[in-house]
Amino acid sequence: MSRLVRKSPALCTDLPLENSDILNKLHLLGQLLRSCFGPSGRLKQIHNNIGGQVVTTSTSSVLLPAIYSSTPFLNLILASIRNHVSRLGDCGLFAAILCVTLIEKVKQSGLRQNEAIRINKHLLGLCTTYLEDKECGCKVKFDFSSSHNLIKLANNILCSKPAIMLREYETLHISKLAVEAFLLTVPSNSDGVVTLGMTVIVPIEGHPVMESKVFPGLLVDIPVGFEDLESRNHPCSPLRVVLFSTSLAGHLSEIGDGPIEVQYGTDMDSHILDQLLEIGKQVFKDNVKICVCQKVVHPVLQQYLRSHGVIVVERVGINLMQPLVQLTGAQPLATLHSTIPHKAYGQVGNVILRQFGSKSMLHLYPAEESVICTTVLCHRNETVLNELKVACQKTEHVLRLTLREPFALLGGGCTETHLAAYIRHQCDAAGSASVFGCLQTEYLLGVEAFCGSLESVAAALQHDSEDSLIDLTCAHHWTLPKDVTQEDMKSCERKCGCGLIKTSQTKKWCHLNTKYPVFLPASLSPDATVHAEVLDSFTAKLNALQVAIETVNVVLDIQYTIQDVN
Amino acid sequence: MPPFQRLHQKHVLQTVCALEAVILRTFGPEGGQVLFIRDNGHSMLIRSGTRILTALRLDHPLARMMVECVWKHSGKTGDGSKSFILLVASLLRTIYTAASKDPNGSHVYNSRAAAESAAARRLADQMLAFALEKLDDLIALSVTSYGLNLSAEVLTASAQSSSNSDGAQVETLLASFFRTRLGCAHCDFMGELVCKMLRHWSRKNDECSPSDKMGSFQRSSVVNSNGSKSNTSSSSLQFLNDNFHALHTPLSGFPVTCSRLIEGQIIHRDFATHYHGNHQHPVKAVVFTMSLQPKWLNAGDMLEIGRGPYGKSIMHFSAWAESSLEHIFATLKTLGVSLLLSAVKQSEAVLTLATQAEICVVECVNEDELALFLHLSGVTAISDYRGIRSGHIASLTFCRPMLLGAHRYVHVGFPDSIGTQPCSVIICGLGEGQTDQYAGAVQDAIRMLRTTWEPLGASVKDPSSISTGCVISAGGTFELLLHHALLQHGRSQAVSKDVAVVCQLLADALLHLPRRIHSHKPRDFLQIQSRVWNICRNPFQSDGLLFEPEISQANRGEKSSQVDNKSVCQKPPSSGHCAAHPHQIAPKITKIQQFLRG
Repeated sequence: MSRLVRKSPALCTDLPLENSDILNKLHLLGQLLRSCFGPSGRLKQIHNNIGGQVVTTSTSSVLLPAIYSSTPFLNLILASIRNHVSRLGDCGLFAAILCVTLIEKVKQSGLRQNEAIRINKHLLGLCTTYLEDKECGCKVKFDFSSSHNLIKLANNILCSKPAIMLREYETLHISKLAVEAFLLTVPSNSDGVVTLGMTVIVPIEGHPVMESKVFPGLLVDIPVGFEDLESRNHPCSPLRVVLFSTSLAGHLSEIGDGPIEVQYGTDMDSHILDQLLEIGKQVFKDNVKICVCQKVVHPVLQQYLRSHGVIVVERVGINLMQPLVQLTGAQPLATLHSTIPHKAYGQVGNVILRQFGSKSMLHLYPAEESVICTTVLCHRNETVLNELKVACQKTEHVLRLTLREPFALLGGGCTETHLAAYIRHQCDAAGSASVFGCLQTEYLLGVEAFCGSLESVAAALQHDSEDSLIDLTCAHHWTLPKDVTQEDMKSCERKCGCGLIKTSQTKKWCHLNTKYPVFLPASLSPDATVHAEVLDSFTAKLNALQVAIETVNVVLDIQYTIQDVN
Repeated sequence: MPPFQRLHQKHVLQTVCALEAVILRTFGPEGGQVLFIRDNGHSMLIRSGTRILTALRLDHPLARMMVECVWKHSGKTGDGSKSFILLVASLLRTIYTAASKDPNGSHVYNSRAAAESAAARRLADQMLAFALEKLDDLIALSVTSYGLNLSAEVLTASAQSSSNSDGAQVETLLASFFRTRLGCAHCDFMGELVCKMLRHWSRKNDECSPSDKMGSFQRSSVVNSNGSKSNTSSSSLQFLNDNFHALHTPLSGFPVTCSRLIEGQIIHRDFATHYHGNHQHPVKAVVFTMSLQPKWLNAGDMLEIGRGPYGKSIMHFSAWAESSLEHIFATLKTLGVSLLLSAVKQSEAVLTLATQAEICVVECVNEDELALFLHLSGVTAISDYRGIRSGHIASLTFCRPMLLGAHRYVHVGFPDSIGTQPCSVIICGLGEGQTDQYAGAVQDAIRMLRTTWEPLGASVKDPSSISTGCVISAGGTFELLLHHALLQHGRSQAVSKDVAVVCQLLADALLHLPRRIHSHKPRDFLQIQSRVWNICRNPFQSDGLLFEPEISQANRGEKSSQVDNKSVCQKPPSSGHCAAHPHQIAPKITKIQQFLRG
């Protein structure tokens, strides 16, 4: 009983949003996230207080899990953004910045929580309806007939991750690889339900980025010293493969845990080994050329198989089993006694040994068309390589999303400013304040907070004390360099954030955080010659917008926190 | 001797008021959420009174007792825990105020405090006696007549246009319930979603319940004065409540509005074998509860391995185990089985042989989910693999993998012949805290509806006066009506002076709730009060329908006042009862501790 520790009472905070300490932390979080945003965002180094690995990043999927606040209130925000990132893979910083900014703006406006929540919900509804509308002025239909748009989308995602330290041509190379890998995973014969394949990423450290490459099929590790493949001349016909998911080292795990009495002179190991060699004989007899095992293969069996010209790959691990099954069409085996049925064997087209620096890998080509491919990513050091790997995974994820909804949104902050102008116009037109049972002034305050937050996300793309402008025809986002005045804008040839409009097409600009007259932003006529240069994922951004606003609503609704400190 | 303390009435009031202060943050239309961080760092969002009180981890014995009372109440009704605390606090205050003014008996006791506590105890006892005896009838007589009767058929027959308005009212009832549980943002959406779900299930059970063998149906077959229709409805609600865990799938990272119903059942596990997708139709499935390849060498047994011509090698045993396994799969293959659900983990050899027999395996399926699967498919699990019969083989319309967030699940569908489509619900939210909150609220809503259509206990003398399924518009109408009725009752000639006093006290205490509901807009309180007075004065001009527009206004969420709904027939009596209980007990504690001291 002496071990029984008395539970301490819970720690309670009343009205957390009135607490200045929490508000300060929230502001700090906002600044931190804003500084990472966009192609020219600043990098963050993450390390814990007892040493350990230092991570350099600006990606939300690495940064957000690393931030841990002692205030549960902030953790709630971070957790919901993290969940969004893990589902959709992109637009994490957008959601986080929008969320923090909107909370602050609502707080400043002095709106009551319930009014603010209702107004936010209503405006979010307006946004989603507009974005899903066919006539939406900031949406581009995806054209799958050429890979241009896909490469642009991939390029934009990679560009917004400055910690991968790539030059322009390197970024383009990696974007092309990402698109190539994505296209390889899409099956060409589509009957009914399409099942996408998968890309396995193999990171190689210390090689130039331009050596990165995509291979069809799989690359598996092979121990040094066993790569005498060249001596054998494989015919062009497919090679037969056998796949084991159990250990071939003589472990009998399924017996039970009772005692075994062995009579003197009985060699149990040799009995088991005999059985293993039986398998070896059958494999050889059935003309199998490659034997892959998830776990360990007994050295004697290995030796036997090798001497009979079978390539043995052991310890491939559980992660590679699924792609191996898909690539070869084999059925993983785990029985030792039954004869292996012929349909359990799979096949590969060819095997080649590939060298990447000191690493040698066995390349298994697919026998026929397959949806499995391998991307070898090279980069100078481990830190940037990790970041590059994450960026490529996210890119693949976003590219896959385009199959579900074949749209993209204008990037470079143009979607945000366009949306803000549209909402302002919509709310000015209809006096809908009475629907919420709140005053018109309250309603306007809510709209101002919402649109102001959207605009400030666009403005967060600027880090070098440039100014953000909005044009008053299409409501796109423009960058005003330090040494250029607004009047000079007309004379020089520039483009807006997404690259869709040139300076000649618009006449008036306005600073982003100033008041401008309400207008309905024009959507550009679909001109075949002009294409947006910067694209964002439609699905990811729409979900990010919804998640951000809903998080704001939840946060505003919190009146009390109870923290169990036991 | 353990330390003790004299429990003064001041302390009792303080404790209850402290609880009230916390509850008030989440009460009514202007209330918000509570963020609760568990000791393991997980955060939860709560707006349900019971959960908040549980989260507080209270030290004070009286406070703990209060929380227990709330548990008992809300476990039964699924609703009303916040009003419970507020009512208790309000009652305590009125009783103490009355007791301090009470002129009687002060000469008997030697201190003023003792006299007051004795007076309070007496009042509480009287109030309890009154509540037990009269309150139910009073409510039946003068409150429910202003309510609206929702027939339980609303859910079962809602597809027909005739009952559309009633269907809309169930939606309103649910929406206003979610308003108090989840806030104003998604109450309408969730009300609609749950309503749809209930319709799916009610229709299903209507058709299949006669042939049903499941215990859950028999358990809830209640005798109802209102006819047998609500029987099926109540049993389907009971069924949903029992199986809710298996019927919902939380999905974090998406906005709440992505929540949806989905046909069939989701088994929250992935395929253990590679999914090949070429099933025959219908998909035949079997359920195993044990390992197909049991460990044959137990700790008590001994395995002898010999040498020579008669000695057995270890491989002998291993081969024997494997061949018996092959035999099972040969049987399954001849039966055409292509899906195997297992409650436990199966060995690698089982997976291999299953793959070769083109059977997909799903391992480690949750017990509840298996039970639901067995119920919906109408088969039994295989406990002995030597006797596999056709009664073990379920026919499914489809079986496919389903990717939800980070998880891959197995999605199965049941054929039409069993009834119309059963469905599961996917609850989306920003994080685990939110999905949990929404799932909990949906389950509470189901419980609340079940209570609404549940017949009353034996305490009502004239059961015909109260029908089940009575609802009344929100926003304190119930309290105001009861307040009025109590005053009338107290004024009538037939009652004794004591009862009149108690009625007055209870009526005063009740007013506290509508005041709190409208604390942000006091004008609404006056409006609703004057309306209730008008109705009470001219009872023949109005009928229950008068309240109907108000209910639908609550739906729009704009009349912020009309939210706190009541399922009249169940809740108020129990609140009355339970609220009186702590009173009775509180003075008792005082007494015991006084005794200890002396």
